[in-house]
Amino acid sequence: MEIQWSLVLFTALSGAGAWLVACAGLDAFKGLAKKAVVPAVIAGIVLIVVGGIASATHLSHVDRIMAVLAHPAPGIFLEALLLGIDVVVAAAFLVLYKRNASEGVLKGLGIAAVVMAAVFSYACGSSYMMSSQLAWNTIALPLGYLGTALAAGTALWYLLCAVFKEEAAALSFAATEVLIGAVAALVTSLAYGFMAGVTGGDSAVLFWVGVVVCGGVVPLACGVFGMKKTDGALPLAVVAVAGAFIGSVAFRMLMWIASIALMSLFGVGI
Amino acid sequence: MARNCIVVNLDRCTGCFGCEVACKMENGVALGERWSKVFTVGPVGEYPDMTRYALPTMCQQCENAPCVSVCPTGASYRDANGVVLVDKEKCIGCKYCMMACPYGVRSWNVAEKCAEKCTLCGHLTSQDKLPACVKSCAAGARFYGDLDDPNSDVSKELAKYSEGDIHTLQDVGNAPATRYIMTSMIGQWQDRIAPADHPHTAAYPVAE
Ligand code: SF4
Ligand code: SF4
Repeated sequence: MEIQWSLVLFTALSGAGAWLVACAGLDAFKGLAKKAVVPAVIAGIVLIVVGGIASATHLSHVDRIMAVLAHPAPGIFLEALLLGIDVVVAAAFLVLYKRNASEGVLKGLGIAAVVMAAVFSYACGSSYMMSSQLAWNTIALPLGYLGTALAAGTALWYLLCAVFKEEAAALSFAATEVLIGAVAALVTSLAYGFMAGVTGGDSAVLFWVGVVVCGGVVPLACGVFGMKKTDGALPLAVVAVAGAFIGSVAFRMLMWIASIALMSLFGVGI
Repeated sequence: MARNCIVVNLDRCTGCFGCEVACKMENGVALGERWSKVFTVGPVGEYPDMTRYALPTMCQQCENAPCVSVCPTGASYRDANGVVLVDKEKCIGCKYCMMACPYGVRSWNVAEKCAEKCTLCGHLTSQDKLPACVKSCAAGARFYGDLDDPNSDVSKELAKYSEGDIHTLQDVGNAPATRYIMTSMIGQWQDRIAPADHPHTAAYPVAE
């Protein structure tokens, strides 16, 4: 199948945005970041919304989009619903954070943001699990969507912490989160690669260089260095973000390129 | 619920492509688009045990139709007679149904920018007429009707054959209603065929 760029951008941007909000929410437990929380939540909301708009550009009759809301079903309706809930959670966190709400409330919303990020980024991938698509019908696919979005979101959080010159403890913890995200991306995308059989042939370069090295190894290395050394976090964070985003986009491109239909009798391209 | 569908007797089918043409004419299907297609399966096997047959394909009217369950707007739906249809007025063009159909027998209407497919010629059957492909089949190989009605044309034709001679396209849980009758007179039913060795023969696509 042809790469559906609207959908690639949707899940890559919105997924990263959701995890960026989750990282900011998680900080309610640690209280390490002082300046990065507000910009991170705002950037997260923007990414989620821009991703949502990107997905709509895939439709030929966007004027009829409201019909989706009238027809609850897994897949597109669920993704739209989760996206909406995630934005509401993020906005509520932002408002309450600005108003210095109690620690308990912020922690509660922080947990909600993490759960929403996980559920939303997983759901975006699970929509593609169908028995007609032989290389997609594995749980490793939605897990890969989750893992690569986690890597991109944590890397963005690390970048914002570095840009806003957070203290060493915050930077070190953010780097640890990048490490966790990178491991998640690496494990889940390797699992998908082997289960779907996309590690060789035409997709080998995209998989090994784009997904594994850029999306996993690079942010992993940045996380390891960043945990120990907090000076010079900015260039490290820039590299982590670039790597994680390349990996996240490459993973989604690969899904389209490597698709194998059970049968494509009419040979109609999508 | 009724299980209306097309049944094709491949022992009778000559592979004349008449159904494909009749469908296009009746439904005004644009050039380059199709709701119906006749495949040539094979040749496979070793001489003298070889199989080659024509396989007319179209929407298989799945009982657990994946195209219906994934459609986000309800544009792909099952009507009161159990027929899977597309309400083009509701289609947003997400192409989700086209990815979900296990056979790739949905069509993209370029002019109207929406998904469509075989309608079992509901505009004709509602007036007690036969679908265009059934009516036009010169070999009398195509039948239309309800699998659950023992007096329907499809049930009467199927009743003439033993279970081993009745086939469906590969079922991955979607339970296609369309049945293909083929006896050993023609050869062996093929679920899948690698086309690589026969570059000039249209065959099933292969799963690697
Ligand atoms: S054959 Fe394809 S289009 Fe027809 S009902 Fe089954 S899934 Fe839907
Ligand atoms: S392309 Fe149209 S008919 Fe198919 S799933 Fe999308 S809205 Fe439904």
